[in-house]
Amino acid sequence: MSNRGFDPMDALNVTRRYFLGRGAGVGIGSMALNALMGEQTGAAGLAAELPHFAPTAKRVIFLTQSGGPSQIELYDHKPGLIKLAGKKLPDSVRKGQRLSDMTKGKPQLVMPAHSAFRQRGQSGATVSDWLPHIAGIADELCFVKSMVTDQINHAPAMTKFLTGHHLTGRPSMGSWFSYGLGSENRDLPDYLVLLSKMKRGSDQPLYDHYWGSGFLPSVYQGVKLRSAKDPVLYLNDPEGLPRQLRRGMLNGLNELNLIRHEQTGDPEIETRIQQYEMAYRMQASVPDLTDVSDEPESTFELYGSDSRRPGSYAANCILARRLAERGVRFIQLFHPDWDHHSRLRSWCTARCRDTDQASAALIKDLKQRGMLDETLVIWGGEFGRSVAGQGKWDSPEGGRDHHPCCFTIWMAGGGIRRGFSYGATDDYSYNAVVDPVHVRDLHATVLSLMGIEHERFSYRSQGLDFKLTGVEPARVVRDLIA
Amino acid sequence: MTHECRSTFNGRRLAWHAGVALLSVLVGCLEGQFTALAADPVDFNRDIRPLLADNCFACHGFDEAARTTDLRLDTREGATADLGGYAALVPGKPDHSVLLERITTADDSVRMPPSDSHKKPLDREARATIRRWIQEGAVWGKHWAFEPPVADGIPDNAGHPVDHFVQTQLRTVDRDLASRAQTHTLARRLAFDLTGLPPAANDVQALGKHPSEADWSRWIDALLASPHFGERMAMWWLDGARYSDTDGFQGDAIRQNWPWRDWVVQAFNANMPFDEFTIQQFAGDLLPEATDEHRLATCFHRNHMHNGEGGRDPAESRVDYVLDRTNTMGTLWLGLTLGCTQCHDHKFDPISQRDYYSLTAYFNSIAEDGRAGGGAKPFLKYRSSLAQRAVDEAGEVVSDMQTRLDAVKANAEKQFDPTLDDMIAEAGNGFQPWHIVQPASLSTTEGTVLSADKDGIIRSNNSQKVQDDYLIEVPPNAIDRIGGIRLEVFADPEHHDAKYSYASTGEFILTNAKLRVRTPGTASVVDLPLARATAGVEGKGADTKYGKASGTLDDDPRTGWTTRTKPVEPVQVIVFELSEPLELGPEVALDVVLMQRSLAPRELIGRFRLAVTNQRGQAVRSLSPMPMERLAKAIAEQKAAEPDRDYALKDIPGDLRSQLLDQHLRDLDAWKVASERHATASRQLSEAKRAAGDLNVTVLAERDEPRKTHVLVRGVWNQNGEQVQRGVLPAVLETPPETVGTRLELANWIVSRSNPLTARVIVNHVWQLFFGAGLVRTPNDFGLQGEMPTHPRLLDWLAVDFMEHGWDLKHLIRQIVTSRTYQQDSGVTPELLDKDPENRWLARGARFRLPSWMIRDAALASSGLLNPALGGPPMFAYQPPGVWQDQFMGRFRYESTLGPAQYRRTIYTFWRRSSAPTFLFDSAMRRTCEVIPRRTNTPLHALTLLNDVTALEAARTLAEQGWVPDPVTEPELRLKKMFRTVLSRDPAEREFAVLWREYQEALEFYRHDSAAARAVTAVGQLPEVGSNRVSDIAAEMLIASMILNLDESITHE
Repeated sequence: MSNRGFDPMDALNVTRRYFLGRGAGVGIGSMALNALMGEQTGAAGLAAELPHFAPTAKRVIFLTQSGGPSQIELYDHKPGLIKLAGKKLPDSVRKGQRLSDMTKGKPQLVMPAHSAFRQRGQSGATVSDWLPHIAGIADELCFVKSMVTDQINHAPAMTKFLTGHHLTGRPSMGSWFSYGLGSENRDLPDYLVLLSKMKRGSDQPLYDHYWGSGFLPSVYQGVKLRSAKDPVLYLNDPEGLPRQLRRGMLNGLNELNLIRHEQTGDPEIETRIQQYEMAYRMQASVPDLTDVSDEPESTFELYGSDSRRPGSYAANCILARRLAERGVRFIQLFHPDWDHHSRLRSWCTARCRDTDQASAALIKDLKQRGMLDETLVIWGGEFGRSVAGQGKWDSPEGGRDHHPCCFTIWMAGGGIRRGFSYGATDDYSYNAVVDPVHVRDLHATVLSLMGIEHERFSYRSQGLDFKLTGVEPARVVRDLIA
Repeated sequence: MTHECRSTFNGRRLAWHAGVALLSVLVGCLEGQFTALAADPVDFNRDIRPLLADNCFACHGFDEAARTTDLRLDTREGATADLGGYAALVPGKPDHSVLLERITTADDSVRMPPSDSHKKPLDREARATIRRWIQEGAVWGKHWAFEPPVADGIPDNAGHPVDHFVQTQLRTVDRDLASRAQTHTLARRLAFDLTGLPPAANDVQALGKHPSEADWSRWIDALLASPHFGERMAMWWLDGARYSDTDGFQGDAIRQNWPWRDWVVQAFNANMPFDEFTIQQFAGDLLPEATDEHRLATCFHRNHMHNGEGGRDPAESRVDYVLDRTNTMGTLWLGLTLGCTQCHDHKFDPISQRDYYSLTAYFNSIAEDGRAGGGAKPFLKYRSSLAQRAVDEAGEVVSDMQTRLDAVKANAEKQFDPTLDDMIAEAGNGFQPWHIVQPASLSTTEGTVLSADKDGIIRSNNSQKVQDDYLIEVPPNAIDRIGGIRLEVFADPEHHDAKYSYASTGEFILTNAKLRVRTPGTASVVDLPLARATAGVEGKGADTKYGKASGTLDDDPRTGWTTRTKPVEPVQVIVFELSEPLELGPEVALDVVLMQRSLAPRELIGRFRLAVTNQRGQAVRSLSPMPMERLAKAIAEQKAAEPDRDYALKDIPGDLRSQLLDQHLRDLDAWKVASERHATASRQLSEAKRAAGDLNVTVLAERDEPRKTHVLVRGVWNQNGEQVQRGVLPAVLETPPETVGTRLELANWIVSRSNPLTARVIVNHVWQLFFGAGLVRTPNDFGLQGEMPTHPRLLDWLAVDFMEHGWDLKHLIRQIVTSRTYQQDSGVTPELLDKDPENRWLARGARFRLPSWMIRDAALASSGLLNPALGGPPMFAYQPPGVWQDQFMGRFRYESTLGPAQYRRTIYTFWRRSSAPTFLFDSAMRRTCEVIPRRTNTPLHALTLLNDVTALEAARTLAEQGWVPDPVTEPELRLKKMFRTVLSRDPAEREFAVLWREYQEALEFYRHDSAAARAVTAVGQLPEVGSNRVSDIAAEMLIASMILNLDESITHE
């Protein structure tokens, strides 16, 4: 449970002065004041129970690659495919796997990877030439090559990947952590979401239920940090309203609300006052977070030139590190447009360039600051892509359709094993045949790293106890843990 | 929805196989619940069934598949069955009942719930209750909600029936009802509950200090008769109906279903009996002599999401819709979690998977095929009589905006001659349309080497890189400002085939062009938006997606500009227009980035040159001569012809003059604002006209050939199991199959007087609207896992009364709101709060935050901004820029409505399903049926209510009320008037002292800083405040905002 120490800010001192000194006859005892300041996040009832055991990770940075990055081009090296190029995918491999409507009824012809591979670092992990920077830190990473999901279309698959169920209405992973563990930071929300700003109209919208709190109270939902004048919606006071007037206005508001509290006895009013104060603090803490002018040149050099462009994935990686430094529990980036049904060679490489250097830089940066040990970084999308070419297999215009039976993700830090590859697919990168890891197993493992036993972490809604890991048995993949 | 039904019982299977999960229900009973007193007999439904349901039914319940043993505990027969010399339950003999032994034993290995189920054992009190129940004979009962409601008789002198039941229960805890709320509080409560709007302060004053019962009765009648009653009730219904203006999912296409929303408002206003309301929405199309309005009503069952995601099988989507309708019916009318039975028999309620799919059969033969957007047939062609008003309104806005634009233009034209003189002078000095860029530096991403000569011509080496990006730094002194950029691509004999590149094709493909600027004092670079790309020649790439100039703007390497297939020219030209000109300064670093990331390897431009211009508009949208260029030419020609005469204004040809004026206007802020608004207004008008034409409303219609319905194995859409026929739920109300063969008959079954659920469920919804929580706290679940009613007899009495009065909603509402129970003061003492934190006793009035939509409507109403027009096409309430763009990467653009339609009630705001209106901070999601209000308290609410444009406009307008029509000269009185307008009461002295203090502080500030005052009052589309009062209005606006943010202002008290 979070321990939000008493750390009075200037703003609250001003409030205190008003309440105790200039209170205009408002009789406010120190009790009411303490009630205003002694906030907690996380679910009060869970405080005693969580964490279930000592965590190895304090926080998560989830680098969500939306659209389904191709494991075949990026990580899952299958040199044997060159010989099979243009051949029909054997039924013994496909095993009746459902196809999306885009390739249903079309011949499934093998298309070898468009990229080249090499073994990297001491660990010898295979990473494609399209990701030179990630390749350079392979020894820090733990690859899971046998990820499995059961959804073949984007929205249900991403919903599954993040909430454990393909239908909407469940809390996202970050909401579960916000609910269970709260945050170490009293000036920022527990769960923050950053979306890459892309120019191209994306085919897969990033629905806000991806970071929604589902049936959990909405206080646990992810708060989107936008690359806009208002990084949080409605954050900025209007022009012409200086901070000291806002402070005065809130002081007045608090005093009047406390009078109402005195008259009605409704504890909700105390909460409301706290929330207005939190809003006021966020008006300072969020710009402080997003204003990167205090970063040295070396930061931008590390994360790459795109990191100077606000809203880019690389700039968001810098913000992720700044959020981690501020003790935010769950930080989630979304980079869209990994849905490469055609022209992998130009399209997929474009997304690789957006993300490669900055993803690697984040790991290096966290490491050099001594934060990697306590920060779990996850890189991955909702599913993989099929070995069969979409369009002509032998044309540069070829692409790949969605594929749920195997995909690759990687993790780093937070107690995860370094320089390790887990699980394997068949010769076609079609089925996860060695140590398959279902999405729910990943959830169980991440919960475990954060000190939570997934079976004992549930929330009652509609008369049922819901868990992130759902109804099917899920396993903590011990081999992934250092 | 499939539930995590197994999550609660994955325990070890023992001899008894009772994996048990316990949530300690009895602990909850201690707070605010009426528990069995020791003297009362145990009530099976109240005391025992919840325990068994929570702890045993998962494995020993109705779901046969989940049972790992023959033992059933959901029926008395099963629980008392002989298990071979012993039984789980032996009525009257607790010590012979093995069940009791198994839940009591200290031996972890056999105790239920099993120790590895992560659940605690039953507590002492629960065990004692079960023991007592067995002792008393283990009396069984049907689950309360499946028994028909019975209205208990009420003694003659019992007073109001609602109070009778509430007080009877209150006596058991030695309590009584609280006193009536203060007059203004109650008046406000009623106004919000019945119309969703605050009362007018004058009307409250007219009620007097102590209104009589008759006064209150008139007050209530007037509210029920208000046309806003229907809007208020419709907001409840729309959340349940998952109503939205778009499909949801990937395509998220816009629909035209809003006439159905108006149908709902009208039905509530006309007080259509609820049974008829139900029948029309289920089966209006099947009614004899069905009208268009009857058919329109059935849109209810087409309001679900439509999935247009690419690659999605429409057949799967269609199955989803059928299930959604069934589940929505279950939640909204029957209070049943039918979704549970999609995959298996219900774990808790006596509903089998077969029952479920028999229900879906009623919705399975709609003439639909699962497609979204324009393919989402069946449609009803419909014209709304409420659209013309919107057309008229939008027309007025257009003429208003036209007048303003004309005025700006006329004003500019009047003063244009001096500007034109300047232009002539400038052009006479030799106008230079394009300034060649002499690069400050050159670099590339992949290693191609670039070099520039003295003419600014840049060459690449023959690097043979597959792809590359060229970065050209523009020197800061190149020009004062940039409105456009020109790229010239040269053919060269050194290139392959003397074309444009060293590739084996000699061709080039420019996939993207970017303009990156680094502003002084920041580490950030910004991509300047380019509005347009215009090329002289567009060819076709080997991959035919390449060709068009516009392909260079989309950040997509799969598109781009090439001249391949067209004759080779010495130079090919493309011009880029900046959306907004960039002012250059000594510290501004500017890079042009030419990205060449195509699929065609090595097609990198070999020789090129950049130029920039300060011109804008037409000048950078075509390759023809710029207006200034034409002017310069005209001057030169005139000078050549008549060397003695200066070129004069009158020499300018008319079309050139208007081109020059057009360029001039583009630089005027006033013109920019006026022309943008005019464009917005014109778009609004054409939208409104479209809305007044034929609309396609999605409705129900049976297909000619009914589809076969099957049980879907594990709920998977294409896994057909046993075939089923249409049929209703026997556990709810047994009905001969031949009488329930159609959707119409299904509707009749739902609103049958004998249906035990519908009336109770609806009464509970209505109660929840007015009390913030239902008599059943789980309005979506009246089944075994739902909560028992806090006041079962009251619920039943109201349900029976509702049906006996012909399902008359206004009657039901009057029954509730005329009670003392409803009218109580909502204050709470710490002692009562401790004993009954959730107000289950109803020993006080309900105090809860208003729904976010009501807060917006109230701010509009109090300030006087509200546009009370009923019905018609949706409008777009203020929303921060970029919200839709963020989510859809620019595919949809949100444009806030201009003019009076902006101030319409929230029910009329456009609802994009995948991006709900941002100012509704905790509304229902409108994705699936929702009947539990979301009510949270977060900093995001605070920020919304402080800084949303609607909130700010309301604050300013409220502040201005003190000045119009007759200025109130005393500022004290103006502050008091604002307070009274919002809260229907005067501020107490100490409250006023706070308002006054902050007002003084703000006034002092704004008196000294009138620029700040002008800035803070310049909000939304309100006209500028006159300079004589701007400081006063600014200060009062801050106080108005404070008042609108008061807890009291946003709370149902």
